Amino acid sequence: MITRRALLGHGAGVAALAAGRAWGAAPMDPLQSVAWEDMRALLLGKGPVVFDDRITVAAPMAAEDALQVPFLVDAGALGRVQRILVFADLNPIPLILDFAPGRLAPLIATRFKIQQATPLRAAALDLKGTWHVAGQWVDAMGGGCTTPALAHGEADWTARLGETEARVFDRDGRRRIRLSIRHPMDTGLAAGIPAFFIEKVMVEDAGGILLGELATFEPVSENPLLTFEVPAGIGGDITVTARDNNGNIFRRKVALS
Amino acid sequence: MATTFRRSVAAATLAIAAMGFAGLGHAKPVTDKDILGDVESTGDVLTYGLGMQGQRFSPLKLIDKETVKGVVPVWAFSFGGEKQRGQESQPLVVDGVIYVTGSYSRMWAIDAKTGKELWEYNHRLPDGIMPCCDVINRGAAVYGDKVYFGTLDAKVVALNRETGKVVWSKAIEDYKAGYSITNAPLIVNGMVITGIGGGEFGIVGKVYALDAETGESKWTRPVIEGNVGTVDGKPSTMTGTKNASWEGDQWQTGGGGTWLGGTYDPKTGLLFYGTGNPSPWNSWLRPGDNLYSSSRLAIDPKTGEIKWSYQTTPHDGWDFDGVNELISFPLKGADGKTIDAAATADRNGFFFVLDRTTGKFISASPFVSRHDWASGYDDKGRPIYNPDFRPGDPSKGGGADGKGKSVFTAPSFLGGKNWMPMAYSQNTGLFYIPSNEWGMDIWNEPITYRKGAAYLGAGFTIKPLYEDHIGVLRAMDPATGKIKWEYKNRAPLWGGVLTTGGGLVFTGTPEGYIKAFDDETGKELWSFNTGSGVVASPITWDMDGEQYIAVVSGWGGAVPLWGGDVADYVKSFNQGGMLWVFKLPRKS
Repeated sequence: MITRRALLGHGAGVAALAAGRAWGAAPMDPLQSVAWEDMRALLLGKGPVVFDDRITVAAPMAAEDALQVPFLVDAGALGRVQRILVFADLNPIPLILDFAPGRLAPLIATRFKIQQATPLRAAALDLKGTWHVAGQWVDAMGGGCTTPALAHGEADWTARLGETEARVFDRDGRRRIRLSIRHPMDTGLAAGIPAFFIEKVMVEDAGGILLGELATFEPVSENPLLTFEVPAGIGGDITVTARDNNGNIFRRKVALS
Repeated sequence: MATTFRRSVAAATLAIAAMGFAGLGHAKPVTDKDILGDVESTGDVLTYGLGMQGQRFSPLKLIDKETVKGVVPVWAFSFGGEKQRGQESQPLVVDGVIYVTGSYSRMWAIDAKTGKELWEYNHRLPDGIMPCCDVINRGAAVYGDKVYFGTLDAKVVALNRETGKVVWSKAIEDYKAGYSITNAPLIVNGMVITGIGGGEFGIVGKVYALDAETGESKWTRPVIEGNVGTVDGKPSTMTGTKNASWEGDQWQTGGGGTWLGGTYDPKTGLLFYGTGNPSPWNSWLRPGDNLYSSSRLAIDPKTGEIKWSYQTTPHDGWDFDGVNELISFPLKGADGKTIDAAATADRNGFFFVLDRTTGKFISASPFVSRHDWASGYDDKGRPIYNPDFRPGDPSKGGGADGKGKSVFTAPSFLGGKNWMPMAYSQNTGLFYIPSNEWGMDIWNEPITYRKGAAYLGAGFTIKPLYEDHIGVLRAMDPATGKIKWEYKNRAPLWGGVLTTGGGLVFTGTPEGYIKAFDDETGKELWSFNTGSGVVASPITWDMDGEQYIAVVSGWGGAVPLWGGDVADYVKSFNQGGMLWVFKLPRKS
């Protein structure tokens, strides 16, 4: 964390100076990544961008397991946001997830596959259309994106495909949901194995009203473990529906109380 | 890097703009009317068979007997990676986009002018798929804004035509029991209709109708008597009468895979589906005719009810699937009257003409040089068997280790004609049959059913009948049963046929050539070496005033897996996996 803050220090300063006015010009990347300008152009469009330390990006400084690097992004300090993108600049497929919180808290956690040492960033789009970006470097031995999923060492990886587990934790009235879905999340970069991954997760309330939705991409780790928060005031069961790029649909009801 | 970046961005845009994976709405929807008019609309190929009746005839005549020598390749498209073998697909052409399927349940959308890939769908297959006869696929179907195909793990997948994203995916059976889909689906009245494979594993063949929009089951029709169909997911009527032609509970594992799909005749409003051999191969274990195995069925697409049936090989003992395509055509009788007829060239070596309204037998004529198992057909359409050519009953002994007496008989189990579709020419009124001359040693042995295990009870080895050729392309007159001409090919023919208004017959060879023949004389007029065996069906269309031809190349299929002594004829063929597109350039 200390390293992350040190790295972000410059960016936070810029963000503070920028408060109250949108940046059209490119701010300097506090992570000094060679790919930042590409990432901005490809993922964030032409809108204003600020580096903003109010977004929490929690991840290990070094990946112990290149196939499973945990991270948590919390943009709650910004108030409501339209979208949160999480991406790793130097991964062969940079974009990890694209979260539209809707009525859910602007908080998301999961794990990703890392191919080499890379900045890991979260970009939150506020209601005025400004991207707030924070992040850190994650060091890694690498190879996580081109290694076959562990499931392929099993005799039949389809046997338990789509099995889910869910737990609910109370956080001062908010409910934090941790949900895992058994899925190989193949990137398409391992030899002979086509891309096969969950690409959409929807969270609905007991009445079938959409609370929030998440687009997930190839770098999300095998058997995705997703964490999100339901604000106080939403009760009953919620339904989480995931769909992969082959059109398989996995559905799970979670009781909030 | 650049490629993956682009992909990620495209995905991000989609994910937010259209969580339901709808397309951009630019593609012109394909309607039922478009599909029914496919034969006349020369600018596209909307159906497997170039028309619902499956005639594989195009009225185009820019390329004719004179000009065909000027046909040149325009572009070629690789199916990539290591998955090269076994390409039996017929492409579709819709609004300047080619949709072509490949081995291992893949599909591509390609710009028809440039050969540029627009998208690829690469289905994630389980390790345990059990296709009997290679990892092939025969083609797609288009309707509305979607393109459909069946997968080796027995799913029907609907993709958005513009994006290649899955709109819906539906497992129609359990691949672990041996089911798989290799046929091209058919679109009729807003339904996707498909058959299924797995006859070698003791499955029960069915025809399935799914709602094209949602993938929900509209009806299913099992083809083995005693089994009950469904309508809207609920049990409907029984097929035939239980135990009328089967003993005990054998109908529950009776085979009859509908693995080659079917055709549709708008005039009678009937679907025509063929059914595979009965299970197991050992016919001594299942006395009776074993209906409706090795048959042609007419099915009402509205209800899924069987309207008529005709069994080409009652009580089959040679793996003579009855799946081969039934093609509707006008039969001119001697009295000058025209009958709404349909014809099929069966695995068993006979070419059948039926009244397609009633299923009434009209004629059966041999199209191969030997048909040992039956001398012919009687007036009622029943084969006159030659009992010496049925493999012996294992309980009577005659073979080693409890096996029955072995016999040598022709055609072999790969058939006088296999899956590769013949074509009918509206020019000549002839059918052009890709046939093969081979026999087999075959013997029966005891077997019991086990889920997901081969259910044969027979052993076999194929032998060519002639030194210099196995394949023969034959022009058959359906009115007389006479062969008008034939073209011999050393390797077995395994690709489909196309006829054109320009008086040409196109087909491919495992040696790698796509060839054009004079439809009246059989004279070879043009050929091109595609680099790997052609075991797929050619198409033609016109674009910007020029006529195009396309064919998929990529040696594979059942012959290299099951061909026995035929290996000597085919072992030097190299693998490929390409879509080749040709045209006759406009004179400038």
